Amino acid sequence: MRFEYLEPTSIQEAIALFERYDGKAMVMAGGTDLLVQMRKKTIRPGYVIHIGNIRGLDDIRYDKQEGLKIDALTTIRALGKSSEVQGRYPVISQAAGQLGSIAVRNMATLGGNLCNAAPSAETAPALIALSARARIVGPEGERLVLVEDFFTGPGSSILGKGEILTEIQVPVPKPHTGAGYFSHSMRGTIDLAIVGVSALITLKPREEVCEEVKVVLAAVAPASYRREMVKVFTQRAIKEAFRLARTASASSML
Amino acid sequence: MLHEIELIVNGEPYQVAVEPSESLLHVIRERLGLKGTKNGCHVGECGACTVLLDGRPIRSCLMLAIAARGKRITTIEGMAKGEELHPLQKAFVEYGAIQCGFCTPGMILSAQSLLNENSNPSDEEIKKALAGNLCRCTGYTKILEAIKAVARSGQVEGVEMKEYSVIGRPLPQVGSVPKATGSAKYIDDISLPGMLYGKILRSPYAHARIMSIDTSKAKRLSGVRAVITGKDIPQVTYGMGFEEYAIAPDKVRYVGDQVAAVAAIDEDIAEEALDLIKVTYEELPAVFDAEEAMKSGSPVIHDNAENNIGYGVTHIFGDVERGFADADYIREDRLETPMVQAAFLGARGSVADFDPTSGALTLYTEATMPFTQRPWMARVLGLPINKLRVIRPYIAGSFGNKSGLTIDVCFCSSFLSMRTGRPVKIVHTREEEFITSRGRDPVICYFKTGVKRDGTLAAMQCRQISNAGAYLDNSPLTARQNVGVFDILFRCPNVEFQAYDVYTNTLPSRTLRGLTNNALGWGQQQHMDMVARDLGMDVADFYLKNVHRKGDITQSKYKLDSCGLAECIQEVVKASNWKGKRGKLPPNRGIGLAASGHTCGCRYGAPDLSTALVVVDREGAVRVHSGRAEAGMGPGTMQIMCVAEELGLEPEDITINEFVDTDSTPFDCGNYASRGMIQQGNAAVAAAQDVRRQLFEAVARKLGVSVDVLKARDRRICVKGSPDRGISFEEAVRTCWYEGEGALPLIGRGSYSPPTEDWDLQTGEGNASIAYGFGVQAAEVEVDKETGKVKVLNVFAANDCGKVINPLILDGQSEGGISMSLGMAIFEQISYDEKGRVRETSFSNYGLPTVLQQPSVKTVWVETIDPHGPYGAKGVAEVVSLPTAPAIANAVYDAIGVRITKPPITPWKILQALKEKEESQDEV
Repeated sequence: MRFEYLEPTSIQEAIALFERYDGKAMVMAGGTDLLVQMRKKTIRPGYVIHIGNIRGLDDIRYDKQEGLKIDALTTIRALGKSSEVQGRYPVISQAAGQLGSIAVRNMATLGGNLCNAAPSAETAPALIALSARARIVGPEGERLVLVEDFFTGPGSSILGKGEILTEIQVPVPKPHTGAGYFSHSMRGTIDLAIVGVSALITLKPREEVCEEVKVVLAAVAPASYRREMVKVFTQRAIKEAFRLARTASASSML
Repeated sequence: MLHEIELIVNGEPYQVAVEPSESLLHVIRERLGLKGTKNGCHVGECGACTVLLDGRPIRSCLMLAIAARGKRITTIEGMAKGEELHPLQKAFVEYGAIQCGFCTPGMILSAQSLLNENSNPSDEEIKKALAGNLCRCTGYTKILEAIKAVARSGQVEGVEMKEYSVIGRPLPQVGSVPKATGSAKYIDDISLPGMLYGKILRSPYAHARIMSIDTSKAKRLSGVRAVITGKDIPQVTYGMGFEEYAIAPDKVRYVGDQVAAVAAIDEDIAEEALDLIKVTYEELPAVFDAEEAMKSGSPVIHDNAENNIGYGVTHIFGDVERGFADADYIREDRLETPMVQAAFLGARGSVADFDPTSGALTLYTEATMPFTQRPWMARVLGLPINKLRVIRPYIAGSFGNKSGLTIDVCFCSSFLSMRTGRPVKIVHTREEEFITSRGRDPVICYFKTGVKRDGTLAAMQCRQISNAGAYLDNSPLTARQNVGVFDILFRCPNVEFQAYDVYTNTLPSRTLRGLTNNALGWGQQQHMDMVARDLGMDVADFYLKNVHRKGDITQSKYKLDSCGLAECIQEVVKASNWKGKRGKLPPNRGIGLAASGHTCGCRYGAPDLSTALVVVDREGAVRVHSGRAEAGMGPGTMQIMCVAEELGLEPEDITINEFVDTDSTPFDCGNYASRGMIQQGNAAVAAAQDVRRQLFEAVARKLGVSVDVLKARDRRICVKGSPDRGISFEEAVRTCWYEGEGALPLIGRGSYSPPTEDWDLQTGEGNASIAYGFGVQAAEVEVDKETGKVKVLNVFAANDCGKVINPLILDGQSEGGISMSLGMAIFEQISYDEKGRVRETSFSNYGLPTVLQQPSVKTVWVETIDPHGPYGAKGVAEVVSLPTAPAIANAVYDAIGVRITKPPITPWKILQALKEKEESQDEV
């Protein structure tokens, strides 16, 4: 494990380095996935660009119009514990609370969890269900893409040359909406999800009719055991989403 | 390129030069020398390396040190204030939350961060906070209690001490304080000047001939000091099959077999050198399944083993055919267990230090049987026995599995040190640990049992096929042991037991907590549950009808001079509300029962010997020297308690050697087969009594009384019944040292070698152990029929321990044993891919139980006062663990009516079994 360590102090600098060493560099945020892969020699980068210490990139903001904005370097623990997130987007908090141990959550970042693009990424299903977008900054400027479109396969994303994910934007959910996330793993949260399901339901006001239902599956493969699991967890996620949607609906009636 | 960084560790700034690739863990340990932070897996899965970064717990193995520049870090060394332990450290010590101690520093830091955020956490909150910190020994229960105690009071209230004599007191284990502060030295914490680092090249093939090895490129790599292959060392075989070499010279027989070894100035270079060694293999056909391997035409793994059978034994007691003919009902079952590993948090390792001028080798390693293994090791190394010294540091978990010296790390570090003349250290990575660890033999058991209509056993038969793996190692021992333990629970006049150890191209097996008694128990305890169900009997009643009682002699001549088996069943029935629950629980909940019996030591062709010295110095300080293995079970604490009891002292008056050193520590066979309590306890009692006799003789002369009237109590030696007629212990000691009374130095010698018998190879008979322990458990489970997940809710245990010497340690053994067996029941296994490669190479995909899985445990101790044990005590380390897995399986059946015959009981197996059950019902 030999590499050159680079520690840019701004995103601009990071982008420049990432572009310069294109193909030979990896960006490191919390490092919890990257270091394991390097130690197992599944990747051998010549350069590691550590962005984890760049200041001002770990904030969570909420705005009634624009919704929630989460900086990419926000740790999973901070995300899960944010009162803004817990109050308005409980499904994100719920998913964050199911990622690894506390010690790992203190290190791992939201941006890192998404960019690592593991099919089991705990935060992805809920963000996709909520129609979240990823803000990507690169040498050519910046772009906004749906998190749903961010992944292109296990371990790969649409990030192009020199591009870095800087922010996740979650729109304000429609009224009367609820969302849930359930996952199955061997020994509880410290293991990777074998199946993860997020569901989102928007009810029509004053009626027990769904206006919109979304189901997002993670870490599923065409194995019969998982198919069973998908069924079970989808039912559970929908039930939870429905319960929360009704609660949301009821409270909006008050 | 080195980078200069500053780290603020425990409030002190450190300027340190680091490589970019160095983890924070490595820098803390190797550059700052703070060895309290432990390396258990180096991939973030075990929590042993937890430190606080700006007050928050992180995994120091998953952080580059350079990325932590300028940060404030707290390690375990920063917790105590001078001599004053941190309240959490104190609580961990006093509540018995520390066994091997390797997880303790990380556990304490995680707990500290929790309490910083939440001073009054609920049980669930504590469990969540500790979910990422693995412990293999304690079963987590005592850890939760310790944290709760600190949360309640902000500090530790003393553990409630009742008015005991020394025996029976809940005393924390010796060594707990250094383990809590991080100063206890395990093998990975040992560094010697000029030390090199070794790495081992392993076979990628399950079965292959080595055609050639080219080490020239590796030897030329800068920083490499030696490269050795099987051709460079003496060709000496070892193991019970005498077919294994330290480094394979011409043929490899499993993926992971040692092929070459390298010593270099650092680990990275050593690893790079491995990539430069070019080995040409001729791949041979391989076989992985024991029953396949026994078929004619299977690949031949060892030339002299027909049908790959390395060892076989059949013993028949009584008239089995007649027994079955007389039976009203006969049932047959096939049950199976995969390999499970010890999976202790501290990996195997060794530091070998060869002195070329004297030709002597000092080997540091965590072996639990250094004395009996030393001759074997010397033979393979080609050294005279007096030129091999073994030093055993703290042991980071063993469970009987770190027994030997004849293991890859010891061999390779020794040969490399002999080659270079420098100390060489090799410690397994976690992945290496999984691919090379010799766990319990995978076993297939065919059971056949005949019963009378009233439930009386008429005949029992078992055919056991053990997959011994590529080499026999000590598998034959486990086969022989099961001849004896097969009927240790049940009175049955007609018994047949067959055992085979079969070679395959998989990992060899080795002793591990219970040996193959686990496989036997997994099968027999479920088989008997089914027999009882078929008869329409409550299994508890069925057992009570058939189990052995005190005074029984089993078919293979085990003499049960004490036996609390029936009492244990009754206690578990009572504690678990068995009668109120069996068949009466809500849907998908179930309760199951299982029992176990095991030896307390075992005679393996040589005396089952322990010895001890009690040395009393001129000023009255008392020190015990013993060769026990201190791996978390507390044998040293027990010996101190015995000596204190005999000398009338307090335990704190007595110290004991931390390390074992074959140059200066008296002989002991080691810790296996639950022998510590009786053999090591009796040796300590004998040594204390020997020194007491010398003191009494001096005191008797001084007081002008006879020796018989004296007693030692409350730090005094006085006349029985008149405490005033006597002198203090110290004065008595001075009498010997200053007034020429008695022989000097003042030393008590003690030994215990039980009058047991070797197995008769013809008849299978022999009272191999001086006493036998028993354990019974009921497990209560809940099954989610939609997902197939099994949750173990409660375990009720009752164990015949003879006599309670230290309830804190006993409860810890029970809770930890249950956790380990629960792991076997629902998570753990070693499996192989089609090329014979181990699939489970990390704690997470192997599935070590976390705090989240630990059920509520209630343990009752049944005192039967064994005539041979010290104060009547017996060993329990194995019987506390054996029943959990089958009890869980029986509970699963009780809950949902499906029988899982091979663990782990995964959700997939449950769903499959439910589906099959549904389909077969549809057909009906």
